Amino acid sequence: MARRYDSRTTIFSPEGRLYQVEYALEAISHAGTAIGILASDGIVLAAERKVTSKLLEQDTSAEKLYTLNDNMICAVAGMTADANILINYARQAAQRYLLTYNEDIPCEQLVRRLCDLKQGYTQHGGLRPFGVSFIYAGYDPQRQFQLYQSNPSGNYGGWKATSVGANNASAQSLLKQDYKEECNLREACGLAVKVLSKTMDSTKLSSEKIEFATVGKTKDGKIYHHLWGADEITVLLEEHGLAKKEDTEAG
Amino acid sequence: MPRILLNLIVHHLHLSSASKMENLLGLTGKDFTIVAASKAAMRGATILKASDDKTRSLNKNTLMAFSGEAGDTVHFAEFVQANIQLYSMRNDTELGPPAVASFVRGELARSLRSKKPYTVNLLLGGYDPITKKPHLFWLDYLASVAPLPYAAHGYAQYYCLSILDKHHHPDIELEQGLKILRMCTDELQRRLPIDFKGMLVKVIDKDGVREIDWDSSKAVKSA
Amino acid sequence: MNSLVAQYSRPAFRNEGFSEREQDEFSQITPPLSLRFAMPPIANPSSFLRAVTDDHSNPNCPIKLAHGTTTLAFRFQGGIIVATDSRASAGDWIASQTVKKVIEINNCLLGTMAGGAADCQYWLAYLGMQCRLHELRHKRRISVAAASKILSNLVYSYKGMGLSMGTMCAGVTPQEGPALYYIDSDGTRLAGNLFCVGSGQTFAYGVLDAEYHYDLSEEDALELGRRSILAATHRDAFSGGFINLYHVKEDGWVKHGFNDTNPIFWKTKLEKGEFSNVTSELV
Repeated sequence: MARRYDSRTTIFSPEGRLYQVEYALEAISHAGTAIGILASDGIVLAAERKVTSKLLEQDTSAEKLYTLNDNMICAVAGMTADANILINYARQAAQRYLLTYNEDIPCEQLVRRLCDLKQGYTQHGGLRPFGVSFIYAGYDPQRQFQLYQSNPSGNYGGWKATSVGANNASAQSLLKQDYKEECNLREACGLAVKVLSKTMDSTKLSSEKIEFATVGKTKDGKIYHHLWGADEITVLLEEHGLAKKEDTEAG
Repeated sequence: MPRILLNLIVHHLHLSSASKMENLLGLTGKDFTIVAASKAAMRGATILKASDDKTRSLNKNTLMAFSGEAGDTVHFAEFVQANIQLYSMRNDTELGPPAVASFVRGELARSLRSKKPYTVNLLLGGYDPITKKPHLFWLDYLASVAPLPYAAHGYAQYYCLSILDKHHHPDIELEQGLKILRMCTDELQRRLPIDFKGMLVKVIDKDGVREIDWDSSKAVKSA
Repeated sequence: MNSLVAQYSRPAFRNEGFSEREQDEFSQITPPLSLRFAMPPIANPSSFLRAVTDDHSNPNCPIKLAHGTTTLAFRFQGGIIVATDSRASAGDWIASQTVKKVIEINNCLLGTMAGGAADCQYWLAYLGMQCRLHELRHKRRISVAAASKILSNLVYSYKGMGLSMGTMCAGVTPQEGPALYYIDSDGTRLAGNLFCVGSGQTFAYGVLDAEYHYDLSEEDALELGRRSILAATHRDAFSGGFINLYHVKEDGWVKHGFNDTNPIFWKTKLEKGEFSNVTSELV
């Protein structure tokens, strides 16, 4: 029965649902968790990277966190190949705005541009939606630090703390429980590792299993974003007693 | 073999000397920008109108003054105005003056490379409500842009820039700014051979754009 | 009679002394209107001259005239202030930064030069000679009105032949008091309180007009003159170099220096906060 409504994205089911979009959401719920937390002086993004094989080169590139623009980064959950298309699109949109207006694109506008594209794939012609959810962290002078989340339907919203990917329901409730308004970036980083340690399968974390990035302001008022190195992550994990012991477990 | 014809389009761009008679002046202060434009609309030896407004508000906090080729000026200004207002509606925020200036420059540069370019000189005055800083941009018809504390177009450049060089300071109050503007408009009235029918003066600050009552009826004393 | 004397007082050598015609001219009470220069044998000398000197319409013109300048002079309660820049440019080329554009005609009379450098230098030197001859003949100094009239009649006699001059004559004489005249190569001669001449004139007018009063103090008048030239050297590409400043008083003129504009500009900017458009910021 369902086949009549889920083979094409453009058709609603009798219950008013778009099955392909829901399948895309389902695909994402199996991806590694990503969370984002808004602090008073910055934003932290953290993501779980699934280590599928010991043979896989670990330190070549980030696979969950990407820079979109000078003022914005994002975390990805879902199909990396689809994400690459969207990230490329977002980077170009940001550069085009910079060329026209000689200033960084406001965060919400960039999110919306991306979501307009995603939405298009839920409506026209026989194509499948992008199987990616994003968490965006950025800054613009008008609305300061901002955190957004978007999903394959093209919906987006602003958040104080949010999560996508596997176990995102439990991550969300942990965040709801422990998030404090007006927390600073340091505290937010602490909360991020704490939540990740609980939602990930292994109890002990290590720098090769997670990625970390922050957006903040330097002392002289400049906005920076920073993808953390392995040693920085290790220091943070040790600080919160979550670092894995030196004896490595078999993979 | 077919000959390949290269179609070279050569633009002969120049501003008519009449447009030098249109005077635009702008200056910034501590928390405001003043933009002034002469009120005469001239065609050949005739003054068609003595209360012409050579300015357009682009959004709540930016004002553009224009001079140049008849027809081009208003058409280009209103085209830019429509686009900036569209941005405001779409995004629920106003573009800041520097972003507006970049956009306008981009449109002028694009038009310059088209079949029929706009021959328009511009001053763009604004106040940025986020940084709380005044802005003034000078743009010419070849699409150069320069952010400046004070600027002019037309013969006003020759007579007023030296006055502004001497009397302008970045942190002046509005009252002082209007005094300096008066020195400039008096000098134009004194030295220019053609009556430009006084100036229309507008101020842009935290409250938006407003016109200032500017009396040009008083005769200016000459040496 | 004069030609008889000349005949018997021939110099020993051919090129020594003056020719008969020259001696004839010197002995005239009024100077001749034209010195009978050789003119090119063509119908319209000025259009020929324009064709070979107009840098604007023909960048390859064979003769590049020295042109750009700013000069000013104004009358005030304490006499007359005369100020000039010192740049001589020929087309794009700065030919000199140390030109004297004030000619000291005598100790009470000054002339300024703008326009063609050679024209000005030659004819103002000529004016100086005529003024001295006037003085010897009449046993009193020439009035500014008369001196300026000699020059204006002279240039008018050459009208249409391509002279390019804009000069001012400033002086104080017992009969006139402080007097200021503007003379240009069109033949215009105007008496007035305030003139600026040259490519930088508008910039000088801007600063000068804004603060000019007849009742200016001597110190303020000198400063205003200096500042007006500085304004012009800052904005006009063809003006620059040094500021040449004079004050003409009842008992003769006083020179107030020949000073480099560069240190004056930075002093003005840094101490008074003027020229706020000049910044080290890159935008």
